[in-house]
Amino acid sequence: MCDNCGCNVTDANRHLLENDEHHTIEVLENLLHENDIQADHNRAHFEDHGVFAVNIMSGPGSGKTSLLEATIHALPPGLRIAVIEGDLETENDAERIRRHGVPAIQITTGMACHLDAHMVHEALHELDLTGIDILFIENVGNLVCPASFDIGQHRNVLLLSVTEGDDKPAKYPIMFRAGDQVLITKTDLLPYIEEFSMARARASVRAVRGDMPIIELSSKNGNGMEQWIAWLVQSVAEQKIAA
Amino acid sequence: MHETAIVSGLMRILEQKAARNGVAHISSVLLKVGRLQAVEPQQLVACFEMFAEGTVADGAELVIYVVGVRGRCRACATEFDVPRFHFECPACAGSDIEVIQGQELYIESFEASSVSSVNNVKARADV
Repeated sequence: MCDNCGCNVTDANRHLLENDEHHTIEVLENLLHENDIQADHNRAHFEDHGVFAVNIMSGPGSGKTSLLEATIHALPPGLRIAVIEGDLETENDAERIRRHGVPAIQITTGMACHLDAHMVHEALHELDLTGIDILFIENVGNLVCPASFDIGQHRNVLLLSVTEGDDKPAKYPIMFRAGDQVLITKTDLLPYIEEFSMARARASVRAVRGDMPIIELSSKNGNGMEQWIAWLVQSVAEQKIAA
Repeated sequence: MHETAIVSGLMRILEQKAARNGVAHISSVLLKVGRLQAVEPQQLVACFEMFAEGTVADGAELVIYVVGVRGRCRACATEFDVPRFHFECPACAGSDIEVIQGQELYIESFEASSVSSVNNVKARADV
């Protein structure tokens, strides 16, 4: 009898061999592997074009598009930007951006609650990055899901508007921990929202990430915008050096 | 509901690995999911049952091992379990914390029966 053709298998030992065939297969593969490969591809594309890519995340209605509109007007001349907008439905946000003469591509995700690297890649096929310095990718308004998906960005910026309440970072810690920069927006409304404590909001952010930089601003009256613009200008310069 | 996106990634990997290893049926899948992944285990299971229907993993049990968050203080090197996403060093109250555990989102392994084993069982049943 040999070990090759099966002639050593008898009725007496067959069950032992069959047990062997019921086996554990080790995988150790990340479930978002495919997304992460696409995200790296997107990032390489940005770097080829010398583009600094920012992923803007927040809950719905915290002022992402208004911030972008104010940013368009506050940026120093010579810095050119493009925008990718993510929403479940409508072309509204891209239209708002285009009114300012800035190229904008709208991704409508249908039922998906986040942007992923493949959706951004699709949008990039319609967007000429030549001569662009900053690409803003406005993610779907959601404080849970977008945190899990790398889309190829260089930095995550998180908005917390004063109307949402100062404990949002504590309630959505994973999202706030994913940020590189937090912006507390709509500060022009502070006089009307006595429940919101800036000290509590800052402590709430610090509890999830102690070294998180925070800028307070209002897209409406322009307070704090110069700090945000300075951060952008510096990040673009750092990105150009790195690339 | 980004769990659907995660489960479609899971199914893609399972079907590839099953084909490569001559697997006829998968009976259980072990996932490691870190608490920093914003993934709800119950939703993963429900989603998996739906996606696995009619595939090599039809009826397989999805076993999810939830991994807690551990951090290391960059100031004093103390390692500790991070309670309720509160990233503060219990030793020196430092807030610059490196996450050393809790970001996992991967398939550890799966239990499978191979094609030949199933054929053997069938052959025996025919006899």
